Amino acid sequence: MTLLQARAVVKSYGPTPALRGIDLDLEEGRILAVTGPSGCGKSTLLHCLAGILPPDSGEVRYRGRRLDEASEAERSRLRRGEFGVLFQFGMLVPELTAAENVALPLLLAGGGRRESRATALDWLGRLGVEELADTLPGEMSGGQQQRCAAARALVTEPSVLFADEPTGALDTLVGERLLGLVVGLARERGMSVVLVTHSATVAAYADAELVLRDGAVDPSGLGMSTGAVR
Amino acid sequence: MSALGVASAGRPRGGLLGVEMRLSFLARLALAGTRTDVLRVLLTGASAALATVALLAAATVLAIAAPPDGAVENAGYTSALLREPGLRPGVAVTLLLMTIPVLALAGQCARIGAPARDRRLAAIRLAGGTPRQAVAVAVAETGGAALLGALAGSAIQLAARELLHRPDADGRLTLPTDVTVPPLGYAIIVLGVPLLAMPAAALLLRRVSVSPLGVRRRVSRPAPGPWPGVLILLGLGGYLALLPAVGRGGATDWVPAVVLGGSLLTTLGVVLGVGWISATTGRLLHRFARRPATLLAARDLMADPWHGSRTLSALLAALVIGAGAQSARAHFIAQDEAYDGANRVYAELTGRSEEFMTFDAAFYIGATDMIGLAILVSLALATGGLLVALLERVFSQRRTHSALLAAGVPRGVLAGAVAWRVLAPALPAIALALSAGTVLGRGFFGTEVSSGRTWVELCDGPAAACADPEGAAEPPRLTSEELPEVVRAIDVPFVELGLLGAGAAALVVGTVVVATLCLRRGATPTELRSA
Repeated sequence: MTLLQARAVVKSYGPTPALRGIDLDLEEGRILAVTGPSGCGKSTLLHCLAGILPPDSGEVRYRGRRLDEASEAERSRLRRGEFGVLFQFGMLVPELTAAENVALPLLLAGGGRRESRATALDWLGRLGVEELADTLPGEMSGGQQQRCAAARALVTEPSVLFADEPTGALDTLVGERLLGLVVGLARERGMSVVLVTHSATVAAYADAELVLRDGAVDPSGLGMSTGAVR
Repeated sequence: MSALGVASAGRPRGGLLGVEMRLSFLARLALAGTRTDVLRVLLTGASAALATVALLAAATVLAIAAPPDGAVENAGYTSALLREPGLRPGVAVTLLLMTIPVLALAGQCARIGAPARDRRLAAIRLAGGTPRQAVAVAVAETGGAALLGALAGSAIQLAARELLHRPDADGRLTLPTDVTVPPLGYAIIVLGVPLLAMPAAALLLRRVSVSPLGVRRRVSRPAPGPWPGVLILLGLGGYLALLPAVGRGGATDWVPAVVLGGSLLTTLGVVLGVGWISATTGRLLHRFARRPATLLAARDLMADPWHGSRTLSALLAALVIGAGAQSARAHFIAQDEAYDGANRVYAELTGRSEEFMTFDAAFYIGATDMIGLAILVSLALATGGLLVALLERVFSQRRTHSALLAAGVPRGVLAGAVAWRVLAPALPAIALALSAGTVLGRGFFGTEVSSGRTWVELCDGPAAACADPEGAAEPPRLTSEELPEVVRAIDVPFVELGLLGAGAAALVVGTVVVATLCLRRGATPTELRSA
């Protein structure tokens, strides 16, 4: 079943075009790597697919419903429940502990503190950083922060995980361990993953690859020239 | 299910005012922060406390009971401003006006650490927080700080009431410490301050979209043009044109509206005019200046010309009112001199020594001095706001400054740039504010004052007969003669205006000195390592 669909998605930043009509289909439980050189529009595509940025034109559908027409609040709730988002730099709230950061989506949805913390501790444990539950992000290493960010992205057991260069700020070994863990958990739970990367090693974790160049799908790129992942 | 079919974890569950999350977690997010956030909360609370004290003081003055039957004033106070019922609304309005610089200070305090707070809000949005939840966090912080500040302000007012209740030997009081604000008024003020602060905080965030990718301004500000000059011309022109029509000196009910409208329009023009002054100064400096400090300042002035408007607004408003008050003072002095002159002519004509025309100059000059005192307090508060804004800017730019230092730019150049950036628009703006206030004051009181046309009765005969004309054996000859009108020019109070302007400039220079000292501490090449 098609989970996420993009049709003729266009996005510009002022006079600079970032995406020039992207088409994409993502099936449930599949992992798509979006690759390409710097500035080709990879992150912008992820932002549009995750409902962080609205496209200027075109459609983004999630389970058949228009995401590009949804309100900011609806898209926020979607990110809180159905989507998980993981960035290059964890983007944790520096003033909250690791457990509070991981529990944040649950607490924002009105969840109780005790049960949210229990769920957060469970996910911190799966990512191997349970002992950091009461530690502030500033006291952690980059790899530890990224594991906490991954736990936060997965805590609601989303249908789609969006990861934007998740290992870009980590050394190779730490990055590969994290990616292996996250991809393993995603496959275990049948999640779909959109993985933005410029690394061939990272892209190898995916079922398919979409290569972008100058905001458009590069037909000469390896993998899925049409962007369809089935 | 929502329109997008959001599953259970993301489904809204109601919560306080539709912000979904629980109140305890909202409080946790609102209280989360660094020392800078704590400073912002403390200063917001302090501003709320000051505003509460000013509002309670105004309410206390208004709560003084009417004079007892048969009396025209409340004899229990030493100051005529409190004794005379007709003067008390003016005192209350002056106290209310003092909340303006307090609110300006609060507005500047709200910007302290704003970039870090906005990054925190963006991270919350990334984790699925809705825009309303992000605003709720900021509003809860401001509301909580304002409530604590209002409670502290009411405690200060109650304590001051006890401590300052010192009747003199005649049982008279300096302040109305025997008056209690009615409980309803108390509740309205103490709860009203935070209730007004919360929508104000939401309004400040209205122009800023807290997005998961960081904060960006929704509305781009246009480059300032000279249109504030039109506001000043309209304000002063309308005021000067309408005053004679409605009756200068309070002849009709329209006078307060004309005075208030003209003053507001002019003050607004002066405050907004700083944007144009900054942009123009920046352009001129950029074109003609050759020193690094002036070039840095020029670029900064052109990049954010409205910074001066925001930070100097309360100071300039106080100067407009202050210059107007000095014109009033000059008018009362001239009127006193004119009446003195008329009394001298009267004495020469009649040979009598008593005062023919009386004018309680000391009272009116004392009243303007009270306003002057309020202006000084306002200037001090406005300087506090300016200092907060300047420090916030210095700290928010410390990485840029550190990078310049690392590239070999001397500290003196950075300090010079800060000084140019602040003083270049501030000095002409101070002169403009004083000029506008003087025109407003002289427009209302005129440029000269006269003793008026008066007739006196002259007695031609023996002194005893003149003392009792009806009982005299030979009645003296009584004639009426017009007392020559004594006219005095109302001086432009150059000395007082100069002192006011120099004082304001000194305060601005003082804030620059403090800011450059903080620049020395905050900007170091090691700052670049904490990326």
